[in-house]
Amino acid sequence: MDSLQKSTINHTLERMLFQVEKPGRYVGGEHNQVRKPWDSVDTRVALIFPDIYDLGQPNLGLAILYDILNQQPDVLAERAFAPWVDMEAQLRENQLPLFSLESKTPLNQFDILAFTLPYEQIYTNVLNILDLAGIPLLARERGAEHPLIIAGGQACYNPEPMADFFDAFGIGEGEELILDFTRTHRDWKRRGGTREELFYALARVSGIYVPRFYEVAYHDDGTLSLVSPALQGVALPVKKRIVGKLPPAPVRFLVPNVETVHDRISVEIMRGCTRGCRFCHAGVVNRPVRERAPEEILEAIQAGLDATGYEQVGLLSLSSSDHTRILDIIRGVYEKFKDSRVQVNLPSLRIASFSVDLMDELKDLRPGGGFTLAPEAATERMRAIINKPLDEDIILETARTIFEHGWLSLKLYFMIGLPQESMEDVQAILDLARKIKSIGKSIKGNRVRIHLGIATFIPKPHTPFQWYSIEEAQSLQAKIDLLKEGTRKADIKMSYNPPDSTLLESWLSRGDRRLGAVILHAWKNGAKLDAWTERFNLTAWLDAFASCGIDPDFYTRRQRALDEILPWDHISTGVSKRFLLTDLRLSLAGKTREDCRNTCYNCGILDNFGSLRPSEAEIYWGCP
Amino acid sequence: MNSAQPVRVRVRFAKDGDLRFTGHLDLQRLFERVLRRSGLPLRYSQGFNPKVRLNLASALPLGFSSRAELLDFWVDGELDAVVVEQKLKSALPKDIAVLNVAFVSNQLPSLQSSLKASEYRISFLPEIDIPETARKLAALLSQEAIPIHRRARSVDLKQLILSVEWTPGPGAPELGFKMKSTPEANGRPDELLNLLGLAPGTYQVCRTALFSNSEEVGENG
Repeated sequence: MDSLQKSTINHTLERMLFQVEKPGRYVGGEHNQVRKPWDSVDTRVALIFPDIYDLGQPNLGLAILYDILNQQPDVLAERAFAPWVDMEAQLRENQLPLFSLESKTPLNQFDILAFTLPYEQIYTNVLNILDLAGIPLLARERGAEHPLIIAGGQACYNPEPMADFFDAFGIGEGEELILDFTRTHRDWKRRGGTREELFYALARVSGIYVPRFYEVAYHDDGTLSLVSPALQGVALPVKKRIVGKLPPAPVRFLVPNVETVHDRISVEIMRGCTRGCRFCHAGVVNRPVRERAPEEILEAIQAGLDATGYEQVGLLSLSSSDHTRILDIIRGVYEKFKDSRVQVNLPSLRIASFSVDLMDELKDLRPGGGFTLAPEAATERMRAIINKPLDEDIILETARTIFEHGWLSLKLYFMIGLPQESMEDVQAILDLARKIKSIGKSIKGNRVRIHLGIATFIPKPHTPFQWYSIEEAQSLQAKIDLLKEGTRKADIKMSYNPPDSTLLESWLSRGDRRLGAVILHAWKNGAKLDAWTERFNLTAWLDAFASCGIDPDFYTRRQRALDEILPWDHISTGVSKRFLLTDLRLSLAGKTREDCRNTCYNCGILDNFGSLRPSEAEIYWGCP
Repeated sequence: MNSAQPVRVRVRFAKDGDLRFTGHLDLQRLFERVLRRSGLPLRYSQGFNPKVRLNLASALPLGFSSRAELLDFWVDGELDAVVVEQKLKSALPKDIAVLNVAFVSNQLPSLQSSLKASEYRISFLPEIDIPETARKLAALLSQEAIPIHRRARSVDLKQLILSVEWTPGPGAPELGFKMKSTPEANGRPDELLNLLGLAPGTYQVCRTALFSNSEEVGENG
């Protein structure tokens, strides 16, 4: 790389850092950072989390990929994040390109820019980052002098809204896929082929989606008439990649020199979930369930603590209490770390007294603060519709146990705007919260605090609810008003999202390729850092839709026909559309499907990925 | 619970490079983790949420480097200072250097309460007109008072300055300040330079010494 340019960056950066808030976000240099000589490798990857450092650095996906890539002798991986507005102004004013934290290399000098897209509200940040790096935003406007621009992450199961901007998407789990990207790139570079040849080589890799090789056509009403490969050898559908066995957990976590949202080591104890909640995107796309063994988890925690000095551990999964050996894990953690003065977070606990027992087993490793339960809906009818069957008695019993075991504060998560939901179902949320509060008061007196977290249902692609319209803002607001009034009277704390604030996620999550123009326009209108409530600019987006002649309601306020070609139908999670349809029909009939770890409902995962199932009995897969 | 008297370790360290942009609270957290990584037999605070027991002498303003910072922490048992230094070094980030490790009496007052003054050395970027800066500074110092605003409070900077001297630097002359450093009266050289019209980033500040009463602390523990 051009060393003159690098010293210019360092010199200018030095001054800029005195002008911005929290300059430690932009300097790197953390303990466990990996720094390789630029010329010692074939492939240089910038891993980019498109929001600010404070939010992005603790991301486990980023840590996994950073670890895997830097273990390769012929690859180096550095990091970059979105700058906050003050730093962006400095970069633009000083005409400095956005650079990586490790070597302060301008992003346009890397071979590959790999973005992680965990959710939709950070799409405009991708555009902003490319712009700050001096790279054309549109894939078709880039040439041989530009890096390969790719994305992965949970939002990529519907890549279409961002198809104009990325050269390729990795669909599914990144552990193996990221190396397929670097190897394909390396081989192509050695051969000295054209850019088109690189894209074609990538498109032939399982799990890699190269949008330019797919032709898309629409009916007059705006729905899709066709998605088809434009070249031979290009897959349809593009099936996600998974690992049959979870690879060793990363342990050499970077230790930031400034505070971030989660300063801790994270150990994924299990991937996937068998519960089958019908609104849940993660529950479908992360199938099948694969567990880590307790011994491996304990070793990873020990190695992580030794390598970082952290005082907090997060045991991550979609449903901690469902790990078949969770008790062994928790008892093992307590025995091994009881004198280590660490706090162990165990989020995502099922509503059952057993979950309280688990927290008790952690004893003094348990973090302070409240207990959290997520019934999601407050009537049995609604819980059947969303397939989260649960007797009210069990909810009340669990709450009672929580208070009896010493907690004073309980947070309850519910959703509103769910299919077939009535005002009575919302009223029931209040009634249930009040019942729980009075149980708490009978045990702990007036110190008991109840907090209601109210989320708005957003239909997600690849779920049984993917065909639904969202509820209109006015009636959502009426539900929120009812809850606000009721919680105020009952002295219950409540947090919620105003209906407008969830629109962006609603539009984008089920969007098609035409939204690329809207995203570009919204960014030109100044939309960025949209996930920051105080920065979200609804007008910029509405204006962008209007300017592009696209009706935003087409994506949200419309019941999709069951035979409609959906924009993400050519991306396969391994779960069949037929299965989702059956589940939708069961929901309409108010029928549930029990946890699928005992009874297989033939969702398609075993057909698609059964061959990856490890033969060793000790590696647990959640499928029967 | 160990009831024996803990051993108090005093470390003098330098802070430079990217870590200049890590502030005081973050530095405390950083040292907690450094000490935990070091494997030393640390003492923790009491209570529900025990923390590594440690003490930093004085908050170093963001962007300043230093070769005189002081840290106290407590360990159990007799240890060799060389071993402590090695263990610390193995756990420290590259921009912190251990200058000295000593064991000090538990009877000594806390670092914060014994600190009275700090010495700073300022070097300027080539574009800064030094004679002009010196003239402006002399004019400013000749005022009876140098009032500035800190949030809602008015402070007389002149009362916080103990001495000023220009010294030859490796390139251009450098400016030395000795200023009060107590919780009630804490002088910041950047506030003075700001009054001279110098923008942050056009000069570098290094803290070169800490003083308790009139004595320099940390040299030999």
